[in-house]
Amino acid sequence: AEVEETLKRIQAHKGVIATMVINAEGIPIRTTLDNSTTVQYGSLLHQLTMKARSTVRDIDPQNDLTFLRIRSKKHEIMIAPDKEYLLIVIQNPCE
Amino acid sequence: SAPRPFPWEPAERAVGARRAALAAMFADRTAPGAGVESLWRSARSARCEAKSCQTRKISTAENAVQSHTSRDAGVQTDQSKDAVQDFHQEVQVDYASLLSFLQKVEDAVIEELNKNWKSRAFDGFEVNWTDQNETVLCLHTLSYPEAQDQNLQVTSVSWNATGSVVACSYGRLDGGDWSTEKSYICTWNLDRRGLNPQRPDLVVDVPSSVMCLAFHPSQPSLIAGGLFSGELVVWDTSRTEDPMIWRTGLTDDTHTDPVYQVNWLPDAKHRNHARLLSVSTDGKILVWREERDGRLALAEGFAMVAQQIPRSTQLKKFTWGEAAVGVTSLSFSHFDPHVFIVGVEGGYSLKCSTAAETLALHRTGSSVPLRAPAELAFSPHGGPVYSVSCSPFHRQVLNLFLSCGTDGQVHLHSMLQTQPLISLQLSKKYLFCVRWSPVRPLVFAATSGEGNCNKCFCFTGDVHLFDFEKSSQKPALSIKQAVGECPVYCVEFNVKQTQLLAAGDATGTVKVWQLSSDFTEQGPREMNHLEQLASEITD
Repeated sequence: AEVEETLKRIQAHKGVIATMVINAEGIPIRTTLDNSTTVQYGSLLHQLTMKARSTVRDIDPQNDLTFLRIRSKKHEIMIAPDKEYLLIVIQNPCE
Repeated sequence: SAPRPFPWEPAERAVGARRAALAAMFADRTAPGAGVESLWRSARSARCEAKSCQTRKISTAENAVQSHTSRDAGVQTDQSKDAVQDFHQEVQVDYASLLSFLQKVEDAVIEELNKNWKSRAFDGFEVNWTDQNETVLCLHTLSYPEAQDQNLQVTSVSWNATGSVVACSYGRLDGGDWSTEKSYICTWNLDRRGLNPQRPDLVVDVPSSVMCLAFHPSQPSLIAGGLFSGELVVWDTSRTEDPMIWRTGLTDDTHTDPVYQVNWLPDAKHRNHARLLSVSTDGKILVWREERDGRLALAEGFAMVAQQIPRSTQLKKFTWGEAAVGVTSLSFSHFDPHVFIVGVEGGYSLKCSTAAETLALHRTGSSVPLRAPAELAFSPHGGPVYSVSCSPFHRQVLNLFLSCGTDGQVHLHSMLQTQPLISLQLSKKYLFCVRWSPVRPLVFAATSGEGNCNKCFCFTGDVHLFDFEKSSQKPALSIKQAVGECPVYCVEFNVKQTQLLAAGDATGTVKVWQLSSDFTEQGPREMNHLEQLASEITD
């Protein structure tokens, strides 16, 4: 469906290693990685996103989290949060 | 007159007495006393008998109750293959809302991805989470004075499974003839307080020279050693009395030459029992399993025979005849448990497989048929190969290994082609041992010593640390193990405490070096760099 098309477009982008969609309970809905890694990423990043969101709102209740990026030695993790879902994209930026 | 009747006398006698009694009341008389004889003795003896009785033998048995076997069992649910589908079924996915979500975020995400791809914001930006250690230090200098007095050399070092104990074996590597010298195995626990570098925590006397050592990969107290006599022995360092628990003894199956390398192999059938693999210059590679009576019995075996070595057309033809090919070293591939690389005295490294089926020629007399394992011969060194090491990092596509030998060169090979990817002339001296770093895919260590060094381009250091990231021509660091020319025979990285490196030399000392942070921290794209390096060369 169109859902698959959109995900394919994202996955085909330069440097993207993995793409996944997690629901509000931290359960993976779509993923390009194997199950155990997906479940691990899903639960950890879900918790981190909730923590980031509450941090932003605690500082300013009128504010809210729109995007989260984690840069590590090996790659960059990008998280687009929403009320019901979380889109996680892992990219290996070139240097 | 008649004696007075007493009341208990029979009545007929008393009749007459009554009349007399009436007449004679109230007069003084003396009456004879009445004697009552004691009857108790006779009564007793009449009534009792001596008898003894005894129960039959009571049977007793000692029994102790204690659970003597225990088993650890873990329970874990298996990942079901359709785990993702399960999620789908459990979770009601509202495709409409999912689609609207994705459409909403897609643009933002694509924009971020593009920005990231082009961004130079993080170039050269490195964060230090741990204290950076800039120098290489010698942390400990360990030795056993008695062994040094006998001029014994350190032939092999090994770290145990927890990374806190280092063991070394004393022997002689340059003893050509049959030596009956005693040797020692010494262990030091580096994490103990009060560590005395001159006094090992445990010293085991061994009647023959120990040529190689290997600690068990998961049981921290088991250590195996290969002897000059061709035997294998396993010691348990936790036993206070005799630490020797298994040995091969001298049987028809035992090696006829010194054992130069011993490895532990995981046993596929019994998790707790590992098998031992030994390699010797008699050309045999033998796999041993433990038997109950403390014996090691031959489980399977391989023999290298010159005629069965595959020759590739690219290699020079030569004649070896029917000679056995002495094996000096072995390393298992980390990706395919059946594949291993051996180094032989003829200077070749060979790719072998445990799944080989062909029988070895001219090898009879052992209890288990010996097979010929060689599949591919790589381009040779100019002298015997002393050490081979397979990289723990590289993927199946590019399975890399290193070999070093008496020609002073280190060859980096891919298992897919016979010519080496890189050939480094590290030294004019012999190279005794080469090992990949367990944490940095581009780093390895090689040790040198002996050999002629007439021209002065040889590097003076004895433990060479090579980093392909810094230079592919010369060592990043050369550590001098000792004053004067002192060959370093063995080196081992500590897998658990990755900054430690142990090196043993000919003066009988083991030095534990602490490496600087640049040897222990993986860089951001090291794997990619090495693949790039390897593919540049193969092209």
